[in-house]
Amino acid sequence: MGTVLQYLDQEPFRFLLSFGAVLFLVLNLAAVLTMAERKVSGYIQLRYGPNRVGPRGLLQPAADVFKLFTKENVSPGRSDLWVFLGAPIAMFLPAAAVWLVIPFSPDAVIANINVAILFFIAITSIGALGVVMAGYGSRSTFSLLGALRGAAQMISYEVPLILSLLGVVMLSGSLSFVDVVAAQGDTFWTWYFLPLLPMFLTFYVSGIAEVKRVPFDLPEGESEIVGGFMIEYSGMTWALIQAAEFASMGLMSAITATLFLGGWQPPLPFLDLGAFNWIWFGFKTALIMFTFQWIRWSIPRLRMDQLMDLGWKVLVPITLIYLLIVAAAMLILQEVF
Amino acid sequence: MPQVGQGILKGMGVTLKHLFGQKITRQYPEYKRDLPERSRGMLTVDMDRCIACLQCMRICPDHCISIEQEKRDIDGSGKAKPYAVGFVIDDTRCMYCSLCVEVCPVNCIYHTEEFEAQAYNRLELARQFGERPVDPTVDPKPAVKTKKKPTGKEAPKTVERPRTGRDEAS
Amino acid sequence: MLGEQRPTEEEASALTEPATSRLMRPDVRDEFGLETIDMNMGPQHPAMHGLLRLILELDGETVVRCDPVMGYLHRCQEKIAENRMYPAVIPMTDRLDYFANMHNEHGYVLAVEDLLDIEVPPRAEYIRVLMCELMRLASHIPSIGFLMLELGAFTPILYAFRERERVQSIFEAVTGARMMFHYIRIGGVKADLPPEIPEQIWKFVENLEKNFKGDFVDLIEGNEIFISRTRGVGQLTQEKAVEMGLTGPPLRCTGVDFDIRIDYPYSVYPELTFDIVTDTAGDVEASYRVRIGECLQSIRIIKQCLEKIPEGAVMAELGRRIRPAEGEGFGRVESPRGEFAVHVVSDGSDTPYRVHYRDPSFVNMQLLQEIVPGHYLPDIMPIMGLVDPVSGGWDK
Repeated sequence: MGTVLQYLDQEPFRFLLSFGAVLFLVLNLAAVLTMAERKVSGYIQLRYGPNRVGPRGLLQPAADVFKLFTKENVSPGRSDLWVFLGAPIAMFLPAAAVWLVIPFSPDAVIANINVAILFFIAITSIGALGVVMAGYGSRSTFSLLGALRGAAQMISYEVPLILSLLGVVMLSGSLSFVDVVAAQGDTFWTWYFLPLLPMFLTFYVSGIAEVKRVPFDLPEGESEIVGGFMIEYSGMTWALIQAAEFASMGLMSAITATLFLGGWQPPLPFLDLGAFNWIWFGFKTALIMFTFQWIRWSIPRLRMDQLMDLGWKVLVPITLIYLLIVAAAMLILQEVF
Repeated sequence: MPQVGQGILKGMGVTLKHLFGQKITRQYPEYKRDLPERSRGMLTVDMDRCIACLQCMRICPDHCISIEQEKRDIDGSGKAKPYAVGFVIDDTRCMYCSLCVEVCPVNCIYHTEEFEAQAYNRLELARQFGERPVDPTVDPKPAVKTKKKPTGKEAPKTVERPRTGRDEAS
Repeated sequence: MLGEQRPTEEEASALTEPATSRLMRPDVRDEFGLETIDMNMGPQHPAMHGLLRLILELDGETVVRCDPVMGYLHRCQEKIAENRMYPAVIPMTDRLDYFANMHNEHGYVLAVEDLLDIEVPPRAEYIRVLMCELMRLASHIPSIGFLMLELGAFTPILYAFRERERVQSIFEAVTGARMMFHYIRIGGVKADLPPEIPEQIWKFVENLEKNFKGDFVDLIEGNEIFISRTRGVGQLTQEKAVEMGLTGPPLRCTGVDFDIRIDYPYSVYPELTFDIVTDTAGDVEASYRVRIGECLQSIRIIKQCLEKIPEGAVMAELGRRIRPAEGEGFGRVESPRGEFAVHVVSDGSDTPYRVHYRDPSFVNMQLLQEIVPGHYLPDIMPIMGLVDPVSGGWDK
């Protein structure tokens, strides 16, 4: 057994296995999230979600995936086919790739690079490109509007996203996720969401905006531009875009949990589960995903100019000012840190 | 410029309260509710009582009832009375207005409590009640008898009536 | 509940600037070489309140021109009514504005009773008013739900439809159908209320009064996003509203207190006490407040009806045939969307010579062409929530 594991730990196998593991995780997460979303939305709306397929509806994602596999992938006649078909891939791969650097448990991180935060920021920026490719490649007015809105929104909200990360970097002194989690300690009052509360909220709100969920789902804008940038997609191409959206929602939740809520750290020392600390990580991620869904089904969406106002005029000043406060505090209270 | 504040959080509190609240949907085929007694479902005809007066055919706004009438000696009295040898109700057209039910002098056509009208073929939904099948796709002959033909003259002369209103001056 | 979040004085004065001031002048646009996009928010759309086609000319996100094209649901109701007998037209009027069926029936029946000049028994009048006010509740609450649906909040509409379902079960017990009632007849109503219904209506109304705020309004009213999306959007002035011939909540939200139930009273409304709900702001948020206020006034009217309803017959003594003399009849009612009026011309036969419906959705739709230019594309949806048209209404 030991020699098999050692053999598999060598380079080509390790890479392939981890790639496969990540894809497996992300695709299943996307499927489970669709089901969770529909059940949560059902319960909020005083109805049961899907409860016909399988026991209590748990096989619904399987039915959905089967349906989407058998559906025709329609593309508009005058669309630019390479761009049109490349867009779902450009949206999905970044969302899947960042899972490689997230620490699930003290030793369980697939790629322990020491600039993981930078990696995360760089790769999620590609998502914006995917949106523009989808809208532009469809060659339709609604998708053009959706793509332009999506590009503006995603690029604008990357600024507060990154600025709020800087607080974490300053406090932990490292760009690596593993170090950030280790620096947060195993008591919930030392996690970073308390000293960095405005940063936490900004990161959370920018995360919702990056994933394009209500109240920031104007690129998709179901009421006016029905589908926005993804209006011309159907079948498996659409499923891939949806998987990308849910995977990035999971990703944002995971990163929020890692950076601000302590990752795999237990809230109190006696609740430490050793190698099973990924349960704590999963619990925190699930909690944040639940709040994403709760917000989605409760409030209306923002209009484009209000959205940009919020990003540039509210979130950016808050993060900049708070960065100065954190820096001043670190200087004055040097003995604490 | 919106700021996250009390309003949004209060709204989210309402949705959370409903999340754990009672569901208001019913699982349909397993649960069928009791319909009130005045419910108007699909129509049915008691052919033993029908006297083929054609009132229901005339009043139906959608022309969904089609009756083929014949003079026949039913009760052995020697006199040939009208008899509905073909009677079809087209469920694809019926709008459940119950005009035919109200106008029938012998109360032979009435609403049941069924409402599940589904079929694979449109003609299956045209239910035949008589001996001879009637073609439901042919519109029954126009029902109204005393319609005046258009004479090409101008519209009828109208009568001045006082209108009640807050400003009588208008 | 009402008026908790009114705009302040400075905010109100800032809103009087028309939205068209945001538009770039065409010559400036040409000078810079900018073009506008022609877009079609077509008849197939999840949020068009039916089958409405909007031909839009967009300058980026700003709407330059908005032309509604109607007719995708036209069913020739006025022409068909010329070939149907007078009582047989009533189920067709049900299907005009299918969110306010009782009012449509009431309008047509008032027109025919005007032609025939008959007296309706008082119990029938009270039942008609009771049904119409319940219908108003069942129409305004989902209207607000639809407004929120188009703004992007998917839950208030389901809470709204829960209330509508309760009203519909009352209607089913009384009339036999959940939506196309065919209950108000020429000369009265079809049948008396079943004995357990007044109790049921009391319980429903009291339950609604108690839970309306906590269950439904709290989710909407203080919500900052709702306020920022609806305050100042679709700004109407009193002069413009009267000039366009608007009626109903779009008119009353500008401050004009015109309500058919008070200004041209019909049925037993003179004996009931209620207020006209107006608001001065003239935007989408004001129309929301007017609708909520009208719900509360309807609850008040329903309670008074249940207390004051007399005993007696529910149908006048008419013959079997309804064949009015030559002449015209006109009936107008206050439907949840505005003034619904019917003009019936008779030529002495069994069927009308001409029936014309003046539907409020059709007239209030002018608002879209006049008010939308200058707003952003996402603002079209709240403005449609202000008008609250129903496609059976504008298309007949």
